[in-house]
Amino acid sequence: MSTQDIRVTAPARSGAPAPPAVPHWRRMTRSAWFAKAVGGIAILLAWELLVRWLAPNYVAKPSNILPVFIPTLTSEAMLEQAWATLWAVIQGLAISIVAGVVLGLAMGRVKFFDRLLRIYVTGLYAMPMTAILPLLTIWLGYSSGARLATVIFASIFPIAMSVCDGARSVPHEYLEVARSYRARWHHIWLGITLASSLPYLFAGMKLAVGRALIGAVVAEFFISIDGLGFYILFNTRTFHHNAAFVAVILLAGFAVAVDWVMDWGTLKFLPWYRAAERRQ
Amino acid sequence: MDSPVSPVEAPRITVSGVGKTYGTLEVFRDIDLTFGERECVAVVGPSGCGKTTFLRCLDGLIPVTTGSISVAGKEITEPWPGAAMVFQHFGLFPWKTVFSNVAYGLKLAGVSKAEIRQKVPHFINLVGLTGFENAYPYQLSGGMQQRCGLARALAIEPDVLLMDEPFGAIDAQTREILQFELLRIWSLRPTTMVFVTHSIDEAVLMGDRVVVMKGRPSTVTEIIDVGLPRPRTRETLALPRFAEMREHVWSTLMDEAKKAEFVLEK
Repeated sequence: MSTQDIRVTAPARSGAPAPPAVPHWRRMTRSAWFAKAVGGIAILLAWELLVRWLAPNYVAKPSNILPVFIPTLTSEAMLEQAWATLWAVIQGLAISIVAGVVLGLAMGRVKFFDRLLRIYVTGLYAMPMTAILPLLTIWLGYSSGARLATVIFASIFPIAMSVCDGARSVPHEYLEVARSYRARWHHIWLGITLASSLPYLFAGMKLAVGRALIGAVVAEFFISIDGLGFYILFNTRTFHHNAAFVAVILLAGFAVAVDWVMDWGTLKFLPWYRAAERRQ
Repeated sequence: MDSPVSPVEAPRITVSGVGKTYGTLEVFRDIDLTFGERECVAVVGPSGCGKTTFLRCLDGLIPVTTGSISVAGKEITEPWPGAAMVFQHFGLFPWKTVFSNVAYGLKLAGVSKAEIRQKVPHFINLVGLTGFENAYPYQLSGGMQQRCGLARALAIEPDVLLMDEPFGAIDAQTREILQFELLRIWSLRPTTMVFVTHSIDEAVLMGDRVVVMKGRPSTVTEIIDVGLPRPRTRETLALPRFAEMREHVWSTLMDEAKKAEFVLEK
């Protein structure tokens, strides 16, 4: 299915306008899917052969993982831990989005907050989240609270910085129009600044979700409460490498799924964003 | 030929002694004008003469440094409900549909949803965009976007239409179409219209009077009565008086236009 040329130049000739562009996975042709499958199989083969020839017997390889893949994935232990991690990530992200958006909007449009906070936000964004973990465990104990705090710490700053960028980039033409039509401050903040910053928020969220996942798993490594990180650590140390690997693959799957969801969300809720670029 | 009092009914807007200075830069000074209730006044001038700034002062977006602009005896200091501006950059919100964009002014004024649903289709139809209510601006051509911008301005039923080079960003053929479209729409409900443009042809075609601004700092050099019959149609373009008026405005502007050509913009 090729993307149609949806630019119209004469008024009132046809009925409804053409629908927005198609999501990329539907646009991918059969040959693209085939190429992905071939690539995947090649990677698995290379992995298998390299491990067989060069590594000791107990190192995980596809021929050992594949038979146990589905049973492990659907086992109660795995599902429980997966949900524990996922839930922590969801909670943390929810808080980060709300706080990050407020922070970003404030920094983006109020000079006072920008001068006050920018250096701290930039610095804390660059700081490795593992550095703050030991401190968090002292303040919050070896608890899921510490994990939640890590998730929030990991995800709030990319969101704040992206939204700040977006808020600063509101084209002044929109603000001029709003003032001309006598908009109140809440019309401007919500209707224009926030709306115009949404694409930046989505971009920030793509980053933030990845970092949130990392934060959760790293916290679980360190704190050993529950979750996929704990599952991986536990199984690795008891030489259940294959089970551990299934968990690793599941995490990778989360990351890819989130990326696709964000892309879908951008197309669905922001059809107008960069529409000209997407039209090939 | 100077006629500071418009021949078309009572003045809607009175501009007296208005000047604007940004820091040390004086953009324009000593502007005395009136705009009648049912007339179209075109404003022409070289680049940088402040006609766009002046238009925004009329809208209340920019405060004046000296003098005052008043409507019905009240001084304008901020955007006022009787004025609606149409922008050269269209100014449509990309995340809103055509319908939503046209309804914007009404929504801000607190008009009920039911009334909006009733009124907006009329204005969309008036500008010829029926069938495109749910389209987004990125799906529309430039001419269609400006039609949408015009509908948005008309929807609040303003007393004054402020046109800021509305067809400046549109291709020449669509521009001609839209000029006559605008004339037709305006004649259905004649209000005050202030039409800022670079194009002398456009100014003479649209306006009852043409205000020429020039100088550094600029001021009103001349107010020219166009004196062409209404309604203006394509036949108007062929009238000898059209060419006369066009040459008159051009020669009034000429020196300034030539000087402006080689000025480095800041």
